[in-house]
Amino acid sequence: MTSVDDEGLPTKTKVRSFPAMSQSFFSDDESPATDDGEFEEPEKNNDDNNVIDGDDVFVYDDPSASTTKSTIRLTKPASSGRKTKSKRNAASGTLSQLAAKDQNFLYGGNNDIPADFNPDVVTSMFKSHDFSYLKLRPDHASRPIWISPSDGRIILESFSPLAEQAQDFLVTIAEPVSRPSHIHEYRITAYSLYAAVSVGLETDDILSVLDRLSKVPVAPSIVNFIRSATVSYGKVKLVIKHNRYFVETTQADILQMLLKDTVIGRLRIDTDKQQQQEQQQQQQQQQKSKTDASKNVNPNDVEAMFTAVVGGDNELEEDEDDIDAVHSFEIANESVELVKRRCQEIDYPVLEEYDFRNDHRNPDLDIDLKPSTQIRPYQEKSLSKMFGNGRARSGIIVLPCGAGKTLVGITAACTIKKSVIVLCTSSVSVMQWRQQFLQWCTLQPENCAVFTSDNKEMFQTESGLVVSTYSMVANTRNRSHDSQKVMDFLTGREWGFIILDEVHVVPAAMFRRVVTAIAAHAKLGLTATLVREDDKISDLNFLIGPKLYEANWMELSQKGHIANVQCAEVWCPMTVDFYQEYLRENARKRMLLYIMNPTKFQACQFLIQYHEKRGDKIIVFSDNVYALQEYALKLGKPFIYGSTPQQERMNILQNFQYNDQINTIFLSKVGDTSIDLPEATCLIQISSHYGSRRQEAQRLGRILRAKRRNDEGFNAFFYSLVSKDTQEMYYSTKRQAFLVDQGYAFKVITHLHGMELLPNLAYASGRERRELLQEVLLKNEEAAGIEIGDDAENTIGRGGNAHKRFKSKAVRGEGSLAGLAGGEDMAYMEYSTNKNKELKEHHPLIRKMYYKNPKK
Amino acid sequence: MARARRGALVQCDPSIKALIIQMDSEHNDIILEELDDTHLLVDPTKIEYIKHELNRMLSKNIYNPMDEEENQ
Repeated sequence: MTSVDDEGLPTKTKVRSFPAMSQSFFSDDESPATDDGEFEEPEKNNDDNNVIDGDDVFVYDDPSASTTKSTIRLTKPASSGRKTKSKRNAASGTLSQLAAKDQNFLYGGNNDIPADFNPDVVTSMFKSHDFSYLKLRPDHASRPIWISPSDGRIILESFSPLAEQAQDFLVTIAEPVSRPSHIHEYRITAYSLYAAVSVGLETDDILSVLDRLSKVPVAPSIVNFIRSATVSYGKVKLVIKHNRYFVETTQADILQMLLKDTVIGRLRIDTDKQQQQEQQQQQQQQQKSKTDASKNVNPNDVEAMFTAVVGGDNELEEDEDDIDAVHSFEIANESVELVKRRCQEIDYPVLEEYDFRNDHRNPDLDIDLKPSTQIRPYQEKSLSKMFGNGRARSGIIVLPCGAGKTLVGITAACTIKKSVIVLCTSSVSVMQWRQQFLQWCTLQPENCAVFTSDNKEMFQTESGLVVSTYSMVANTRNRSHDSQKVMDFLTGREWGFIILDEVHVVPAAMFRRVVTAIAAHAKLGLTATLVREDDKISDLNFLIGPKLYEANWMELSQKGHIANVQCAEVWCPMTVDFYQEYLRENARKRMLLYIMNPTKFQACQFLIQYHEKRGDKIIVFSDNVYALQEYALKLGKPFIYGSTPQQERMNILQNFQYNDQINTIFLSKVGDTSIDLPEATCLIQISSHYGSRRQEAQRLGRILRAKRRNDEGFNAFFYSLVSKDTQEMYYSTKRQAFLVDQGYAFKVITHLHGMELLPNLAYASGRERRELLQEVLLKNEEAAGIEIGDDAENTIGRGGNAHKRFKSKAVRGEGSLAGLAGGEDMAYMEYSTNKNKELKEHHPLIRKMYYKNPKK
Repeated sequence: MARARRGALVQCDPSIKALIIQMDSEHNDIILEELDDTHLLVDPTKIEYIKHELNRMLSKNIYNPMDEEENQ
């Protein structure tokens, strides 16, 4: 703007073009040329002023400058300016309706256009997105972020020298949206601020760091948003000490307000007023020393601010915590629920913390990490967010698959040293968790119990570990005597810590049941992909806690913690016959056609041969069981799907791991999560669950933990085979969205060189292809479906799609009434359908979820 | 007797050919001659219509993250 105003010539052109623009902006017929001329003058002066003292003071917080402006300016331009503003408000208002709910705070994004803002020639093109009134700071080049005033998006230059620290900070206060290699995108939301406050950041810290990092002054709308979101969140804590509940806050005025509240005030239990007063006096003294300490940080020193705010080494943080001034009052156990609800209503949601070091009531568990166990830096960082002030906070930690989520959980358990309960999604992972616990820490096997459908032994000692599945615990239907006994055991005692594995798959209602049934002081949710197709993720915020940490996939792979993966999308053109049938068929059958596309088969065959020659171990994924079998049988490879017996599964998996002859296996979606195969280095996906971003990420996770990842120049490969010009292209792009946001680039391969030359290529002749087509067409629609219900544990909370598509299987038949009543020679027969499976599908919780979905 | 007709030569992928054939199947007024897997002779007046229809059909298979954001 300065460059335009300072010179004479551009200003002239601007005046000339202004009348045209004014029609879109102003409804009055004021003479714009004169107006413009009038506020051109003071504007110029101000700019000059700013240039002079711009070195120390930034334009926006120079009060003298703004006052001069307003005094000099005449009334007319001011009124036109206001009109501009109201127009803009309307525009941003409609925008906000489309934005997410918590963005409501920000809807007045453009209210803050300073009255002296002078729209230039191109302003109209940007409509409400013109933020040029936020002037660039003179040293903007060295500042890495820009914050969008209208929706709280933060753009970070990840190549800036400050980026690494900025990332640490931004991950804490905002949600990472997209993190490719050069420019990152984050978004400030009410939840993310809630999380930031819960790990101990203060409003002013957040604002000052943002201000320091930002290329332009932080817009008032953002400042207001952050203030309004953080002023209440996390200020009130609910702490359990000696099994008594205390409401705590660091600010005395909030405590006063709570006590005066009609609901909460009455629920207070008066305990030793004197003692409390004494405490308060002490605390006030401490508070003084604390403020002194924090003043020592030179506010102009960015680095110092960082260590103070982000707390890289936690030194400062811990110091502060020891002398934290806390005001608290006690409430009765039974009124906890009431207080929580009331606090929510008055916008002071309570944070739950567990002071496990001072909990002498619950017996300690003798558990420690083995000396040989090494914790990686990012695991430590995530845990430091959880135990930041010596207490355990509840929340969610997000780490990529294969990055050692289990170890994070175990370390947390070893820190708390109380009875632990672990819930996971399947009985396979139950065994894995137990085995990992025994492997990494000093827990004795007799303290480690497992609660699954075929194992219901509990530990006999006074404290211990229980591993179970969500469905076992949340089950409401009749239980066997044994499992009822175990449930009574689980609900009857107080747990120090609960680990919730793969939190993204569990329906909210089931969670609520689990969380209320089991009394645990601290809750930790673990997941790799905090995305759901049904937007239920936000529920987790309230059921478990805020997201405490989210790792950067790219960073971890650069440091060798997870494998480096080359992703590719292989486009397989449909053959003419198949495509003609594709166009004729309904949606279900179409799916079968694009999966069974002979070109895709050939591509798959080619890739398998190519990678087997390189010495890779290959997993081929197919959601469609019919295709899985066809492909595997034709290629002579072993396959596993839902109905494969356990013994055979183990056999195949072991052969895959240790047998040189078996380098490829085919897996249905049972392999998505529960199967751990560090040998695999190449992954081919031939069919998938519609547009599920999560499945894509989980599958990629199968090769992220590749054993060979630290070999020089090692790459794992992830191929997604897609039939061109079909619906699959749409799903494929959608599925990749999550990984692309994590910084993965999908290469598109339109043609595999040398595929035609492959000896014994399948379906090379037109006759073979036509035979295949005939076979596919003869298949009924059932075959097109995605495997469901084979193991209900795996389908927990999957998007409702698959289930909705399976219409009732009831068959309508004709018969006479007499016949039905037994008048004709007809016998009833019981079909051997497994009633249990049906029940599982219609589990009330799941049903509830699926019926809710369409409404949303 | 030999008969001459004006036609436009369309060269396309087999799948696009299948789409054009499908368009043609209603009135049989688009395709004059199917030459081979990748070539078609079509009515020159229908070119614009074909282009428009193909655009419409193919865009169904393209995922645009922006669309979704707006729908939310």
